[in-house]
Formats: sequence, C-alpha cells, structure tokens
Amino acid sequence: MMTLRQIVAFGGGGFSMESGNPLLDDYVLGLTGAARPKVCFLPSASGDADHYIVRFYRAFGADRCEASHISLFRREQGPEDLRAHLLAQDLIYVGGGSVVSLLGVWRAHGVDAILREAWERGVVLCGLSAGSLCWFADAVTGFHGAPRAVEGLGLLPFSNCVHYEPGMDGRRRAYHDFLRDGMRPGYAAEDGAALHFVGAELSRVVASRPEARGYRLDAVGGRVAETPIDTAYLGEPSTAVAA
Amino acid sequence: MIARVLTLGGHDFTSRPQDRAVCELLLRLATTRAGGRPRICILPTAGGDASEQIGRFYSTFGERPCDPSDLSLFRLGTRPMELRDHILGQDLIYVGGGSLLNLLAVWEAHELGAILSLAWREGIVLAGQSAGAMCWFEAGITKSSGKPLPGAGLGLLTGSLCVHYSNEPDRRAAYLDAVADGMPGGYGLDDYAGLIWEGTGPPTAVTAQRGARAYRIAKGEDGVVESPLPARFLPAPAPAALREDIAEFRRIAAMRKRAGWLG
Repeated sequence: MMTLRQIVAFGGGGFSMESGNPLLDDYVLGLTGAARPKVCFLPSASGDADHYIVRFYRAFGADRCEASHISLFRREQGPEDLRAHLLAQDLIYVGGGSVVSLLGVWRAHGVDAILREAWERGVVLCGLSAGSLCWFADAVTGFHGAPRAVEGLGLLPFSNCVHYEPGMDGRRRAYHDFLRDGMRPGYAAEDGAALHFVGAELSRVVASRPEARGYRLDAVGGRVAETPIDTAYLGEPSTAVAA
Repeated sequence: MIARVLTLGGHDFTSRPQDRAVCELLLRLATTRAGGRPRICILPTAGGDASEQIGRFYSTFGERPCDPSDLSLFRLGTRPMELRDHILGQDLIYVGGGSLLNLLAVWEAHELGAILSLAWREGIVLAGQSAGAMCWFEAGITKSSGKPLPGAGLGLLTGSLCVHYSNEPDRRAAYLDAVADGMPGGYGLDDYAGLIWEGTGPPTAVTAQRGARAYRIAKGEDGVVESPLPARFLPAPAPAALREDIAEFRRIAAMRKRAGWLG
C-alpha cells in the first residue's frame, strides 16, 4: 500500500480552544486508521506549559489512544531517542503558541528533520495556530505583535494564515499585503476550520463549527483573490435514507 | 560605561538565608547601576517562561525597592512587548535556569543576542543562574539533551562555565573531559557560588553558603587543573517580616520627627 503523507492544519480549535467539542481531534485520530493510535503531543510553542500538557492528556484519554508528549525543555525526562519515538507514532499533534520560538527550539534539537521523515513515512501531522503555520513554507503570524512573515518547515509549498476570523482585519490586510509583495499563494483557516492536505495537495476542508471556513488566496496581477472553500461540517448527523 | 555580569552556579528565589543573600546582591548591583530605584527584568526563556519561575521572581522582588518585570517570549501573544526598548530600559537583566540549548535557539529566533550584547555594553547588569549564567560565556556544560554535554553561549565572556559544579558530579566530569579535549577553560561554580565581572579585569568570587566555591579550570601541561578561588562571603539580609518591622519603625520615627513630637 502506498504511504499517504497527511497534514491537517487547524486555523484554531481542537482541545486547546474548543473544550467539549472533540470533532477536529476525532477527525485526525480517525485518519490514522489505527484502532488505538499512538499520539504524541509537541507543546514546544507554549514553552512546554504544564497546564497545556495536562489538558492534552485529558482530551486524549487511554480509552481511545496511546498518548505521550515530548518536552524539549525537559529532555532529562521523557524519551531519550526523539527520532525513534516520533517515527513510532500514528499522529503527531503540535500545540499553539509562538511559531518563532517553536521553530528555533525544533531546529536546536533536530526535530525539524525528524518531522519531515515522519511525514514521509505516513505519520499524520496536525496542529493548530503555531502548530498549523509550522508546516508551511511561509507563515503569517500575529503572535508577536504586528503580523509578520516567518519561514516555516516548508513541507507544504504554500503560505498559511490562522485564526482568520471576520473581525481580524489587521491580519487579513497584512496577509493580502504579503501576497501582493510576492509571498507564495496559500490558505487561510478560521477557528474551527482545518485544512487537510494529502501530499502537497489540499484534499478537503473540514470544520468543527457549521460556520467555519477555509480560504484559498492567490495574487493575480497585483490583486489578491480570496476564495472561500467548500467546508464540510463534521458534526452534521448523517442523513438517514429511508428504505 | 562598565560592563557588569553576575554569574551564579545555582540558587532559588526562596526565603532561605542563602537565597536572600543572592537576591540582596542582585538588588545592590541593580541599584548601583540605577543610582536610585532600579528596574529588574527576568528573562525566563530557558524554562519555557514557566509560571512557577516567574512567580517566584515576583514574590522575591515584588516586596523590595525595585520595579520588577518579566519578558516572556512564549507569552507575547497575550502580552506584546517591544523587546529592544524594554531590555534597554532595565538596570539589571536576570536570566533564569532551564535548557541552555533552547535558550540560545529561542533568543536567536527573536534576535535577542544583539540586544543583550548592546545592553551589556551600555552597562546594564547581566545576571543569571545555571543556564542563565552559562549563556554569557562562549560555552557551558548543559543537560539540555539529557546527558551533560558542551553547549554554546552568547560569548560575551571569554572561556566556559560549568554550573552546579560540586553538586552534580556527572556535569563536573563532563566539563573536565571537555576541557581536556580542547574546549576553552573557564570556571566551575557550585550552587550559591558566583562570579562578578566588572569591566575587563578578572572576576571576583562570592559565596552565599559555607562550603560553596568557585573554581578556575584551566588546561595545563599535565592535564586539567582545578583551582579554588578565594571568595567573599555574602551575608543574608534580615527576612522580609523583620525588614517590614524596621521600615515601619522608621516611618513612625520620621512622622514623629516631622510633627515635632521628639522636640
């Protein structure tokens, strides 16, 4: 069977932001195809915040998966061989926070190269916010004040903008400006929407909220085209077809 | 402008006498630089901006005559700050312990090295313990990857530093091996021992706990030589409760004097 390279990039959502709404987390668990998937949480973008790690373990209980985490600030604890541990996972889940700090810490520990290898071997990669931006070639982050462009890992040859909410005009404007200035085309996702890539192609957009959307962004002749993408709400009860 | 650095082998922010002595020294260095009420900022990057480290810093300095603040790079999302302006507005920058590898990587990602180097040249006191002490040297011995291994620092101070020196035998052994293998020599600092660097001269050793020592580590003809340095003992100031009593007494005495009650 051919190995699928899959990344699910949340604009925002999952256990970090949507307490009591497991739709996106259930979706990524389902992609692994494993009955009891091995899931590893990387909370690096938060500085390995204790409360965040605790919330991950609460959300990813032993009843439905085998959960672990890697704390790069406390390497004396946890798995000694990062590569072996990460490559043995079915799903790697990256938390939110500072994408700039995240990438710095990953590179210092060689995690950037390991994640690429994991992706190529079919480990599903996902995350929200900084944990979404990191997979792309160009990331638009508003975490550190005014929106700025950051170079990500580049597994996906696009730009990305998260928390793309209707009210976030500054972020939207900044992304459009970057695109006009030559940033490569890409995708934005609202909170609750997730971009599911298979290989380097967008496969579908799913959402944990009926109104959440994903967008495709292109710059054509100095103009930015922002196109909403058909987004599948994951909570829709399956329609019963009368026999 | 005199460049000042205080490097500490290890300490904590508690009410124990040796911790109070270290904090008193930090406060004195900051006050000297300020010529008045100093501004003291913690950079808790090496610990991932852990709430606990930040909380202890505030509980220690919050009740002293200074303006404490924290620059948390992982929390800029909820509390944006101008990094350069904030750092250059301080009298003392204190770097907390944690992962030296992550500290340097995150600082590099945020381009903080150049700002700290400028702060140093402007005479802002740079201080820290553990990873926050080794970061100022060319190199240190860190457990950032699990086992004790050499790791690079910013290199404002020449040579290397090994912290928790007598407290962690495996770290000391790794340091002596690394120096024997060609890592630049430098210093070993026990918990509660420190080195004060002023200008370009050699550092002065201090100790806040009997038996805690600073060592000069150098590679000689016959291998690596470890020489203890004479250290000045730092006395612990009165605990906070007693200080408040004294302050209260002085306030009342001053009020009485102003009111002419004492004639």
